[in-house]
Amino acid sequence: MILYDYILSPSCYRVRLMAALLGAEMTSRPVDFHPGREHLSPEMLALNPAGTIPVLTDGSLTLRDSTAMLSYLAAGHDPEWLGEDTPAMRATVAQWLAFSQRLTSSAGAARAHDMLHGPGDIDVLRRAATLALRELEAAISAQRRRGMIFLAGPRPTIADIACFPHVALAPDGGLPLDPYPSIRLWMREIRALDGFIEMPGIHRLHELKPEPGPMPDIRQTRTTRDPKQNA
Amino acid sequence: MQTDWTPVALSHDIPVASAAPGRIGDTALAIWRSASGRIAAWSDRCPHRGMRLSHGYVRGERLSCIYHGWSYGEDGGCKRIPAHPDLTPPESIRVPVFACREASGVVWVAEGQPAGAPPDLAGFRGLRSLHIAAATGAIAEVFGGDGPVLRVKLGPVAVIALVQAFGDETMLHLMAPESCDLATLDALSDAAEALRRNIEAEATA
Repeated sequence: MILYDYILSPSCYRVRLMAALLGAEMTSRPVDFHPGREHLSPEMLALNPAGTIPVLTDGSLTLRDSTAMLSYLAAGHDPEWLGEDTPAMRATVAQWLAFSQRLTSSAGAARAHDMLHGPGDIDVLRRAATLALRELEAAISAQRRRGMIFLAGPRPTIADIACFPHVALAPDGGLPLDPYPSIRLWMREIRALDGFIEMPGIHRLHELKPEPGPMPDIRQTRTTRDPKQNA
Repeated sequence: MQTDWTPVALSHDIPVASAAPGRIGDTALAIWRSASGRIAAWSDRCPHRGMRLSHGYVRGERLSCIYHGWSYGEDGGCKRIPAHPDLTPPESIRVPVFACREASGVVWVAEGQPAGAPPDLAGFRGLRSLHIAAATGAIAEVFGGDGPVLRVKLGPVAVIALVQAFGDETMLHLMAPESCDLATLDALSDAAEALRRNIEAEATA
């Protein structure tokens, strides 16, 4: 399984994160998206005529939509993540996957505008993103009233993983998350999941790391090193 | 109702061992709860490099900065600098601490030392905090009241609206009667969303 990948892309991170949470093995093939525009190279366009990343290949299968990749990984490794317990849960997951596309085209586009000189009217993008973030905040607060925090039920699903990256990185596009307490707590839960991995701008919960011990004494190492080894 | 206290957050939004951003007036706050449940509101700025402490992490009774791990105790004083583990940090390294109380499921903060206690909102519980892109005056106008604590009707339900200036904009902390069932709380949340849409439409008209 090969992921055509870009470290700063939230959509690529979706797939890396899902694979890490599932313990799925995947080879990352870096694409020089910026400044190299390698995603528009003839080789990449042959894989994905739309010129977007990520692209996931597994044998003869080529996937060009990151939420489809989440479904593929979950179905192959742990179908619990698909959230198919009931017809309502299954439809709710599908709805959040579609919603995640709204995040990509609003908060994601605002971030691409501010960080990578992407196109678009930044005010329009931020207004659309604010509406989406408010919708998410209201939905998570409703879940919390029911003793839950994840989007489609009592456990995380591909819906949470699809929405998480663009939300967590929204401040890069001039969209502070200060006004969204439920979103903040939802992100905390995702960042605390077993197997969680980071990307630039998104870190795991420091609280879960042990208190760092004293620094190793590097002077000791230097004085005992045999000078001949360096010769 | 007038009070020296400013409502800055709902208690249930700041669980044990977590930090959250807030504000009082023009000052950014790090509102955090220790492992033992103690709530505190500090200036949201690490004295070391100015990083927001609300991005930090709580271990035990200390809040640590995410940048270089400097950790601060209950009084705001620096207790530990990880890069200098043998150093006792000087007294002068200190985060400004604000008066902070919790009452009726609301976190209240004050500048200086207020005389009285925060308002008693017995019989109500926190529902949601909503950010509104309009000045507090616009909200007071809709509700027809004055001060940060407004007893108003939202649909058929008598609620308490806590109105907090948030820069040029507003944070509305909504309190619902404790007796409300889930369906009523959901309806109140929807009504608050509709109210925000109306207020913002008025403000930009």
